[in-house]
Amino acid sequence: MSPSSNPDRPARSGRREFLRAATALTGLAVLPGSVCATERNAAAPVTEPAEDPPLIYLALDPDEAGFVEHLVEVMCPADELTPGGVECGLAIFIDRQLTGAFGRGERLYLQGPWRPSRPEDGYQLPMTPVQYFKLGLAAADRACAQIYGRNFAALDMTEADLFLQAVAVGKVTSGEVQLDIWFNETVYPLFTQACFSDPVYGGNRGKVFWKMIGYPGLPAVNGLNMTKYRGKPFPGAAAPLSMEDFS
Amino acid sequence: MKRLPHRSVVVVGAGVAGGLISRQLALRHIDTVVLERGGDHQGGAEGRLPTQRDELRWDIRTGLMQDAAKETYTFRRTPSEAARPMRRLTAFLPGTGVGGAGSHWNGQVWRWADYNMALRTRFEQRYGSGAIPADMPLQDWGVSYAELEPYHDLFEKLFGISGRAGNLRGVIQPGGNPFEAPRQNPYPQAPLESTEAGLIFQDTVVREFGYRPYPSPAANSSGVYVNPDGMRLGACQYCGHCDRFVCEANAKGTPDLLLFPWLARQPRFELRKHCQVLAVDYDPAAGRARGVRYLDVTTGEEYFQSADAVVLAAFTMSNTRLLLAGGIGRAYDPATVTGVVGRNFCFQANSGIAVFMPGRWINPFLSAGATGTIIDEFNDDNFDHTGLGFLGGGYIGVNVGSGRPINTRRLPPGTPRWGSAWKRANADWYLHTFAVGVQGSCYPHRENYLDLDPDYTDAFGQPLLRMNFDWRENEQKLSAYCTTQAERIARAMGATLVGPAAPRSAPFDVRTYQGSHITGGTPMGADPATSVVSPRLQHWDAENLFVVGASVFAHNSGQSPTGLLAALALRLGDDLVRYLAKPGRLS
Repeated sequence: MSPSSNPDRPARSGRREFLRAATALTGLAVLPGSVCATERNAAAPVTEPAEDPPLIYLALDPDEAGFVEHLVEVMCPADELTPGGVECGLAIFIDRQLTGAFGRGERLYLQGPWRPSRPEDGYQLPMTPVQYFKLGLAAADRACAQIYGRNFAALDMTEADLFLQAVAVGKVTSGEVQLDIWFNETVYPLFTQACFSDPVYGGNRGKVFWKMIGYPGLPAVNGLNMTKYRGKPFPGAAAPLSMEDFS
Repeated sequence: MKRLPHRSVVVVGAGVAGGLISRQLALRHIDTVVLERGGDHQGGAEGRLPTQRDELRWDIRTGLMQDAAKETYTFRRTPSEAARPMRRLTAFLPGTGVGGAGSHWNGQVWRWADYNMALRTRFEQRYGSGAIPADMPLQDWGVSYAELEPYHDLFEKLFGISGRAGNLRGVIQPGGNPFEAPRQNPYPQAPLESTEAGLIFQDTVVREFGYRPYPSPAANSSGVYVNPDGMRLGACQYCGHCDRFVCEANAKGTPDLLLFPWLARQPRFELRKHCQVLAVDYDPAAGRARGVRYLDVTTGEEYFQSADAVVLAAFTMSNTRLLLAGGIGRAYDPATVTGVVGRNFCFQANSGIAVFMPGRWINPFLSAGATGTIIDEFNDDNFDHTGLGFLGGGYIGVNVGSGRPINTRRLPPGTPRWGSAWKRANADWYLHTFAVGVQGSCYPHRENYLDLDPDYTDAFGQPLLRMNFDWRENEQKLSAYCTTQAERIARAMGATLVGPAAPRSAPFDVRTYQGSHITGGTPMGADPATSVVSPRLQHWDAENLFVVGASVFAHNSGQSPTGLLAALALRLGDDLVRYLAKPGRLS
C-alpha cells in the first residue's frame, strides 16, 4: 500500500507539524534527545528529512514523566533481551495513550450515579483515564516519599522495584486512591500494551518485544505456512514486520 | 416524526439473524426493510491491510464494538444490590454495524445435541422428576431438532462451513463428533487444518483416554467457496486476526460478506444504516405492533416505519430491552416467578488451563478463529450425571485462534509480573504454550434475569438494560468438574508445566471477557406463562411481532449459539412468508 492511499496514517511531516504546534502552545518540556529520537525505518522514503525532532510528552508534566520513565526502566530494565523501557518507547506509548482517545475516555460510559465498588465491578470512577492515572501517580509518589523520604524517580532500581511490588499487592496505601487497583487495572495494562503493541503507537520500538518472543507480526498470510511450519520454528519470527513496514 | 410508507416487513438489526430472515423473504419477493444502527465495516481501516492487523485498536480498545459511552449494560449479582454500569465493554462484546456480532465473530458453528430442544423432559426421564432444582427454570423449547435440520443444512451451505460430519443420517463417521445430532449432508467444506496444539490434544485424548476428538466446525473457509446464492468466500489465510476483527481476506462467513451484498441486488429489499431503533409501537388492545420508531443518527430526525410484520433480530440484549421498554409482554419478576420478559438469561461457564511444552513449536499465530480440536464427551448431557450434583457440561478442547502478543501470552505460575525474569519467561514460553479450554453450559436460574435499570440511561435517553446475574451453584460445580477433566487431559500431554485450573466461580467478574455467548431474555416455548414467543417465534401478546436471535434460547449449551440461532432465523423467514399470506397465529 502506498502512503497516499492510506488515510489512517498521517504523513510524517504532518505529525511533526502537530508536535511543533503542541510545543509552542503548551511549552511542555522537551526531553533528552537520547530518549526520544524516533527510530528510522530502512524502508522510509529517501525524501524524508534526515532527523526527526525530539518527541515530547503531551499528557505527562515533567514530574509525572520522571515517574513514568523510572517505572518503565524498572519494569523493563536494559538487559540482553531489550534496551531499557524508555528507549523501547514505553513511556512515550503511555503518554500518547493518555493524551489520546483512551485517556480522554472514549468508549467509556461516564454517566452517574456513581457508587462505591469492588474490583470485580471494573472501573467505576467519574474521571477520565488520564485524570485517574495522574491522580494515582501523585498519590503513589506521596506514599513513596513518606516511606523512603524521596520521590519515586529518585529511588534506586532495587528500591523502586520493591516499591512497585508493594503497590501491586496493596501494601502501599493512600488516602485518596486505592493504589493496588490503580496499578493493576490501569498502569500494568498500559505497560504490557506498550511492550507488545504495533510500534506505530510509540512503544515496542524496533519491534524489540516481538523479536524477543518470536511474534512475526504482519502480514500473517499463512495459508501455506500453516502446514509448512506446523510444529517447527517459524523463520519470520526472527525479523517481524509491523504496520509501518507496509506503509 | 416523519411517517414512512408502509412496508410488509421491518427487521431490527442487520446481523446474522436479520440477514438470513431477509434472504428467505427476498426469495419470495416480499418487500423488507432492515434497520441497522451502525454503518459498514467492509472497506474501512478495519478491513484492509496493514491496519486490520492492529491488536491494540480493534481488540484491546474494542474499536469494532458497540460504543459503551453511548450504550452499555448495568449489572448486579443480587436483587438487594444497586447495579453498576459495565463502563467499558469487557465481559462480552456486542458488535455494531452491518453484520452485527457476526462480523467480528470467531466462526465456531455448532448444531447442538438434539435433546437440547426438550431438555427438561430429557432430565426428568433420565434422572427422575426431582432432578432439576426448583430454582432452575429449564423448559422445553417447543421445537424439535428434526424441524430445524434442513435450516442448519442451509445455513452451513450459505456460510460455507468447514467441518467433518460426525453423524451422517444416523451413521457415526470416523473423525467427526459422535455426539452430533444426525445430519442429512456433510459439511460443504473440508475441515480447517489442525494447529500443532490441536494435534497434541488429539493424540493425547485418543491414546490415553479413548475419547473421540473432532475439528471444530468453522465459518473460516478452508477453501475457495461459492455459496448457493453465488456469493464467494476466499480461502482462510490463518492470520490469527479473526475474533474481534473483520476478515480482509473475505474468508470468514459473515452477513456483511455473504448476505447483505446479495440482498442489495434484490428489488424489494432495503437496508437502512445508521438507524437507531428507539421503540416498537405496540397496540395492546389489538395485540399488534404497528411498527417501529427510529432515529436517523446522520440527521437527528425521527421516523416511524409501519409494517405488517415487525421482527426483532438485534443482539440478545437489545431484543429484550425493546420489549421491556415498549411494555410488550409482562416483565419477569423473580420474587413471584411471574411474568416472562427478561427470564432465562444465561451466559456460558467457560474456563481453561495453560499447558507449557518447551520442546513443541506451538506457533500460536498460525491459526484461524475456529481452528479448534474438540471433544464432546463431557458436554451437556453426553455423560451420566447421576450423583454429580449438577446438570450440564461443556466441550473440552484446544482452540488456538490467535497469537496476538498483547493478550495471548501465557506464563508459568510464579513468574514475576515485570523485570528481566518476566521478559525471559515471555521469550521462553510464547511459542510453546497453549490452553485446554472448556466452553461450559449455563442453565437458567430464577434470579438470573434482565430488566430495565431504574437509574442509568443511554445516549438516546432510554434506560439501560440491567443484568441480574451471578454464577450459581450448578454452573460452579459443572465448571469445576469439566475443568478437572481438562486438567487431567493437560497433564497427560507430557507437558513440563500445567497451569492452575481456573474454573468459573462467583462472584461474576465484569472485568474478565467470558465470551459473547449470552442468551435468553425472550425465551421461546409452548407455554405463554413461561415464554415470550411461541415455538414459531411469534410474540404471545402481539401476533405480528416476531423475535429471533439467541434471546429466544431457553437455556445455553456448552456449544456456541450461532448455528442454532441461524437455523431458527431461516425457519422464521419461511414462517413469515406463511404469515403474510395468511395472518394469524402460526402453528
